[in-house]
Amino acid sequence: MQERGMIAVLEKAWPVLVLVLGLLLAVVLADAYGSVLMKRTVTDALIKIVIVVGLYIFIGNTGIVSFGHIGFAGIAAYFATWMTCCAMMKPITMTGLPDFLRLETYSLWFTALVAVTAAGLVALIIGLVLMRLSGLAASISTLAALFIFHAVYANWDNVTMGRASIVGIPTYVTLWVGLGGAVLAIVVAYLYQISAFGLAARAARDDEVAAQASGISLYWNRLIPFVLSGMVVGLGGVLQVHFMGTISVNAFYLNLTFITLAMLVVGGMRSLGGAVVGVVVLSSIADVFRRLEAGVDLAGTRLSTPTGTQEMFLAALMLLILIFRKDGLMGRRELRLPRLLGGRAAGAR
Amino acid sequence: MTARATAATAASGMARPQRLQAQGVHVAFGGIKALTGVDLTIQRGQVMGLIGPNGAGKTTLVNVLTGFQPPTQGRVLLQDRPLTGMKARDVARAGVARSFQAARLFRDMTVQENLIVAGLGAGLGRRAATERARDILDWIGCAPIAQTQCDGLSYGDERRISIARALAMGPSFALLDEPASGMNESECAALMQVISELPARFDCGVLLIEHNMTVIMGVCQRIHVLDGGRSLAEGTPDEVQADPAVRRAYLGEKAEKTALVI
Amino acid sequence: MRNFLQVLVDAVALGSLLALVALAIGLVFGVMRLINFAQGDYITVGAYALVVPTASLTPALFLGALPVPLMVAGVLFVVVLLALATERVAFRPLRDSDPATLLISSFAVSYFLQHLVMLIHTGRPKSVGIGQALTTPIDIMGLRVPGIQVVTMAVTAVLLIALVLFLKRTSMGIQMRAAAENFQMARLLGVPANRVIAMAFVISGVLGGAVSLLLIVQTGTLDIRMGLMPVIFAFFATVIGGMGSLVGAALGGFLVGGASVLLQSFLPDGLRPFRDAFVFGLVIVILLVRPKGLIVIGAARERV
Repeated sequence: MQERGMIAVLEKAWPVLVLVLGLLLAVVLADAYGSVLMKRTVTDALIKIVIVVGLYIFIGNTGIVSFGHIGFAGIAAYFATWMTCCAMMKPITMTGLPDFLRLETYSLWFTALVAVTAAGLVALIIGLVLMRLSGLAASISTLAALFIFHAVYANWDNVTMGRASIVGIPTYVTLWVGLGGAVLAIVVAYLYQISAFGLAARAARDDEVAAQASGISLYWNRLIPFVLSGMVVGLGGVLQVHFMGTISVNAFYLNLTFITLAMLVVGGMRSLGGAVVGVVVLSSIADVFRRLEAGVDLAGTRLSTPTGTQEMFLAALMLLILIFRKDGLMGRRELRLPRLLGGRAAGAR
Repeated sequence: MTARATAATAASGMARPQRLQAQGVHVAFGGIKALTGVDLTIQRGQVMGLIGPNGAGKTTLVNVLTGFQPPTQGRVLLQDRPLTGMKARDVARAGVARSFQAARLFRDMTVQENLIVAGLGAGLGRRAATERARDILDWIGCAPIAQTQCDGLSYGDERRISIARALAMGPSFALLDEPASGMNESECAALMQVISELPARFDCGVLLIEHNMTVIMGVCQRIHVLDGGRSLAEGTPDEVQADPAVRRAYLGEKAEKTALVI
Repeated sequence: MRNFLQVLVDAVALGSLLALVALAIGLVFGVMRLINFAQGDYITVGAYALVVPTASLTPALFLGALPVPLMVAGVLFVVVLLALATERVAFRPLRDSDPATLLISSFAVSYFLQHLVMLIHTGRPKSVGIGQALTTPIDIMGLRVPGIQVVTMAVTAVLLIALVLFLKRTSMGIQMRAAAENFQMARLLGVPANRVIAMAFVISGVLGGAVSLLLIVQTGTLDIRMGLMPVIFAFFATVIGGMGSLVGAALGGFLVGGASVLLQSFLPDGLRPFRDAFVFGLVIVILLVRPKGLIVIGAARERV
């Protein structure tokens, strides 16, 4: 009896356990044997996992494709920048900041907390308005929200330095910090997914009419994941700036939106495992192309692929997945406990 | 805990409403009148049949009663509480549940999760909703498919689960839209058994839209006949069958004629 | 007064340009529920076709070296071909997907084309001098109007009339309107889906090519993102106008163009940099009030 209880727990925790252990293994290996470049690549992928898992919380559970979430990463990233960067330059270059940001510097933990909360608040305000919409109108309005974010931040010169880059942001994101972020994002996403809220959101996703007839509020069950995912994506933004050490408004615009969406689509929009798998696959491909673009020696001649091939390959791969495997590499399922360990053959998430 | 006990727990704390009423309901889509001045009262503890030819406005009436279609005129009352103008979701939470002609299950979920969603929607906690889901699935004999994904269900199972999901809300009134369509004879017989037990078991009233007259005559205490968006007649099965207006309306449609005479 | 008229001319000129892009997007959306974000890259590719691929910042002319009629025909041909190719390779296999998936796929196509241009022409902005004579202002009743604005308005008027005639008078046009109203029904009635959709892409290519040329004369600059802003604004124009309605798309184009010019002129100085944010905010407001846009077509309610 107790053994069966253990298996039930294991079965429930399995989808997360596998992902976390897999990432842990990758980090341990990269830490021990990887070059500096390799470590940076893996760290970057871990940060992307935070963002893509954040996207998944909303897109996967509600079925509404959001094109606007990178804006929340940007909001949080700029907060982190204002709170931690360049105490000497800040008062001169960002004169529009209120004194408590312009003149003070805050601890990194506190900063992350505030930045993520800020992203959540902005997501709440935007979500309160937008989550009344369904389907395509909702998707389009999230895109409009991204454009608004960009139009404002790119022109708010005395606060964001416009389109220029801000440098001198403390960098503390290592492999292990990245791993911590990714694990946190995955656990949050999974807890939400198996909660009553997650179930209700997916009911609204599967059939709006039947969900309403079952007493489920479409509005709240979209708003909750919208805010939660805004916060997780915001965490990704915070990690990103503290990894790069610089920020510019174009770093949180269409390119990042496209790449993170591509990762989610390739992995599988309706699977948490898919979100992670998508990042791993596309990051690996990007790494291969980076090496190719740098040039490889083949039979004595140095060959390199021209800049831009990586992006074209990525776009083509995404189209192929959309055409031939709409639910992504993972399909709509999560990783299941193998039968060897007592798992059921078929079952639900 | 039995299904009856769970349903009773949900109802405790406030008196269950006695009647669900449509009063003088008109619905017009553009220039087309779908319903004209329909009055209908469903009593708790009773199965009321709603019949009429295709396009008579049966589903529109259910949509009005459940808040999916605001009436152009007229109102809907739950006991004395007006439901008109409320959102579908709030009507459901007030205790009026429905099933759908096209089942409309949550396809990416298991059967049991479908029922849990309804329990959650009715305001239960996760544990209570799960327990109620299990009870209901046991009772209608669907326990073996509780963990099956809904996109792989047979047609008959889909319909049964659609009903079960409506019941999982612990409703005061359950409106069932053609639950027997596409079912074979033995499935129909089992369904009749289930429907006739509903009022006592769940302490609710039932509105049953159905084309299969065997089912209608077999389980309904009263029958309401719609034709062309108007109420044509209402009464016991015998009264309705004897009603000349009903006979005339149905004689126009040969397929329905044989069905009615049984 | 004169100032106001000047603003009005600016608004109509910008509105015309956006209306052309919006019509292209609206037409394609009408027949296959695809919001084609790659429309912007059609414009970019059309513009780059004018020059020889080099790393030079002032590249030699390619199609741009031809006599004007041939140059116009050449650019239109290139863009139409590109539009048809994207339809055949990327969008046709996805025809039955939901609109959100289609939108994602058009992002992918856009991303692909953008980097293809970058690969061929490098990513740096280039200058190209074509039709510079048109940029000199002409005096019209005391207003100094750049010739290109007049040309833009004239081209838009001609294309709009041609499009209306095509849609009303030709059998292909009538089939296309039927498909935009109700694609499934049109298909059942024997409208050839492949040809109608291909035709929509041909037209979107023609409109895209026209915009390429107008933009190039106006700005004299080639940039791999040059199609982005027009397509974003036009995209929201179609949303405001009512997805799938062509009248709505044209109307939306003029509305968005008008709104941005008016905001540019009348916003207080401090807020002027945020003009675009206001325009996009307007889009959200309109979506909230009328989720289906200003002009709703054949939008049957979902049957419960």
